[in-house]
Amino acid sequence: MNLKIADFFIGAFSGSLVACVVSLLPQPSMILGGLVGMALALPLKVLLMPFFGAFEVMIPLGIIGMTVGMTTGMLSLSGNAAISLGGSVGLIVSTIIYFSNKQLTSH
Amino acid sequence: MKINKKSYDDVAKFFDFFARGDMRRWSPGQRTLFQNLKGRVLYIGIGTGQEIVNFPPGLDITAADLSFEMLKRSNERVENYPGKIHRCQMDAETTAFADNTFDTVVTVCVLCTVKNPIPCLQELKRVLKPSGELVMFEHVLSKNPVYAVILKLMSFITESLQGTYLDRNTVVNVEKAGFKIHSHKNVYLDIVKALRANY
Repeated sequence: MNLKIADFFIGAFSGSLVACVVSLLPQPSMILGGLVGMALALPLKVLLMPFFGAFEVMIPLGIIGMTVGMTTGMLSLSGNAAISLGGSVGLIVSTIIYFSNKQLTSH
Repeated sequence: MKINKKSYDDVAKFFDFFARGDMRRWSPGQRTLFQNLKGRVLYIGIGTGQEIVNFPPGLDITAADLSFEMLKRSNERVENYPGKIHRCQMDAETTAFADNTFDTVVTVCVLCTVKNPIPCLQELKRVLKPSGELVMFEHVLSKNPVYAVILKLMSFITESLQGTYLDRNTVVNVEKAGFKIHSHKNVYLDIVKALRANY
């Protein structure tokens, strides 16, 4: 698979997964959601790094884990709403990093 | 974690697996960086030799690594290289080479793992001829505060698992060691960089 396309899939998938897990918490909150998101991003990074590159996985997942976890916890979302939000935020973060990388590597 | 030969020996068996993704990403950037290598080349931190495929053919390379296990695992790649590669086990901070020996010194993700980066760079300067060039493919701490926080947090883990620091400012260290950077290219964000320097 083209690695550039894979980056967007990784973003959407990890965002959805984090949102799904946070939505299953009995009493979700912004702080708890953020912490769970960050904790969940860690094994995901270890799992994905050998296939997709260390920094290319570490940077987006570091952002997605915390932001998606916090947002899902704060809004107390559940089910499809949580998964959709997580996937969307993951995709947006991946897109921002893609353009940031494009700008930084073009010089 | 104390970085020593034993640590790298332990990492050697998993090294190829964990670095596979990086090699898929970085190979085009490395091939571009290495295309003009010339003369007698010192390749510091050969590891398992994953970058050898990105070297142009016909070079005379002296490759050094601290870990015997890593060197052992580079056998096949060294044998398949269409040029000369002599390997030796030594510390990048205290090499056994005479002053002004090499025309080019190459490092790939070395300055993130050595214990003292500036003394290491000064040692590389010592063995490099005045007309020579230091060619580096290294990752550094990002200037973006968001990326920098992530790298600093991850650095706690990578230091203890692999002895790799993700929060080093290698560009500044290179200049502190007395080199002048004349080519500076970002390979991924402002984290992975291809640098060329001389003195």
